Amino acid sequence: MRRVGALLVFLAAWEAASRLGWVSPLVAPPPSRVAVVLADLFGSGRIWAHVTATLVEAFAGLVLGIGVGGLLGLAAALLPPLAELLQPVMGLLNAVPRVILAPLFVIWLGIGLASKVALSFLLVAVTVFFAVFSGVREIDRRLVDRVRTLGGGPGHLVREVYLPSVMAWLLGSLKVAVGFAFTGAVVGEFVASSRGLGYLLSFAQSTYNAALTLALISLVVAVTLTIFVLFERLERRVFRWKFAQPVPTPGRQRPGGGHQAGAAARARSREWWAAHPPGHAGEAHTPRSSSEA
Amino acid sequence: MIALQIRDLCVRYGAHRILQGVSLEVPAGSVVGLVGPSGCGKTTLLRAIAGLVPPDAGELRLNGRPVEPGAAGVGILFQEDALLPWRTARENVALGLRIRGVRASVALQEADRWLERVGLAGFGGYYPHLLSGGMKKRVALAQVLATRPGLLLLDEPFANLDAIVRRLLQADVLSLVREAGVTVLMVTHDLEEAVLLCERVAVMSAGPSARIARTYPVPFPYPRDLVGLRAAPAFGHLLGEIWTDLRREVARMGWEVPA
Repeated sequence: MRRVGALLVFLAAWEAASRLGWVSPLVAPPPSRVAVVLADLFGSGRIWAHVTATLVEAFAGLVLGIGVGGLLGLAAALLPPLAELLQPVMGLLNAVPRVILAPLFVIWLGIGLASKVALSFLLVAVTVFFAVFSGVREIDRRLVDRVRTLGGGPGHLVREVYLPSVMAWLLGSLKVAVGFAFTGAVVGEFVASSRGLGYLLSFAQSTYNAALTLALISLVVAVTLTIFVLFERLERRVFRWKFAQPVPTPGRQRPGGGHQAGAAARARSREWWAAHPPGHAGEAHTPRSSSEA
Repeated sequence: MIALQIRDLCVRYGAHRILQGVSLEVPAGSVVGLVGPSGCGKTTLLRAIAGLVPPDAGELRLNGRPVEPGAAGVGILFQEDALLPWRTARENVALGLRIRGVRASVALQEADRWLERVGLAGFGGYYPHLLSGGMKKRVALAQVLATRPGLLLLDEPFANLDAIVRRLLQADVLSLVREAGVTVLMVTHDLEEAVLLCERVAVMSAGPSARIARTYPVPFPYPRDLVGLRAAPAFGHLLGEIWTDLRREVARMGWEVPA
């Protein structure tokens, strides 16, 4: 609520400053003017083709980036020779501002959908590659040993240890990746395109239309934030164990960390052991007195 | 009857020889302690028995059969908690059973029974981070015992616990494993703990190329009480003998040991 309040105060101050002539409406048009432009864009229906184009480019880049980046990250983590090959390339791509490749993609792939998807894909893939690569590398060896000593094979390890461990890294990076996907799509459109929010932004900038520029920026922010929140909800759902709270438990708690089992439980335990001797063949197991120690 | 037979076991990491000619016999249903200088290879020996480290040479037999990695019949409890943080206590306990092909619903019912047996009835729905150190140890113990191992390997299971929890857990673990007739090989740094819980205490020599230097029988009958044992001259004598051996091995590693 405080954040919403702060935003409302900021917008009100901006509106007042613009109306009182403290700032030029040409440079910073009041929020009400921006809202009118937004309403007009949606009312006329002109915006939908552009929104759809940007969404398609961003989602295509996101899905491809997650798939390819994830697979490469997994392969590099499991195959050291591949890691030696991929790590320097990915490290370099991670270090440089990848959006500088946008003009190159336009030259290679044209001004259509492909060049925007390629830029979006590259931004996402590098991020996801490092998330999955680190996730697999940082897996708790004790958990791997635990599953192996319980008799677990590769399938159990993947299901019980690798996937949940990597998911923690992956979901954390996906929120960043969503932003990158839209950055790639919008910047790609900005460089050269015939539709999309980036194209509209480029048009608004070239005509010095600050109200349209702010309206489009608000729209991109709103879409990105919505997807960000959806991913955050997904993260909370997948990692509900992290947010779990203790529930009231009947019985007395024992200082040793458990409940006093009691004589009845002990008796049941002895009966159970008598009926279920340890499973290893050839060994004679004679239940002993439980009153020892 | 001998449950675990280790003969001339050698383990090395690359060119570094950790264990050299380790031989030890653990009778069925007995609790044997393993003490030795830090870093001499006690944990490596347990990991080799559990199949986590491939032996370089030698023989490892459980009930007359060669031990294989992940073999049913061998359970291990690590010093540090190794519970899956994304699984509840009962799901963690059921894990070993599910891996062995037991139906999920049956494995969970079995897990509930085991949680009750280790004194954690009602805590099945808790995730590990909501449990105390002692409770996590109990869950891990239930997880291992639920698979009904013939041999249980304990790697300093009571380290990092406060004194009261340690004493309670020691008593409960001993009670459970002896009740189940499980053979136990336990690594510990605490000589009193070794003598209190074990029927034999094996002293490992200094590493590298560690082996079993000597094995001491512990002549005190169960049930044992630490306060009562401390008052017995034989207890002090036995501790003194083991400590003399251990001190010599520690000194061989180049560390100065106060008298």
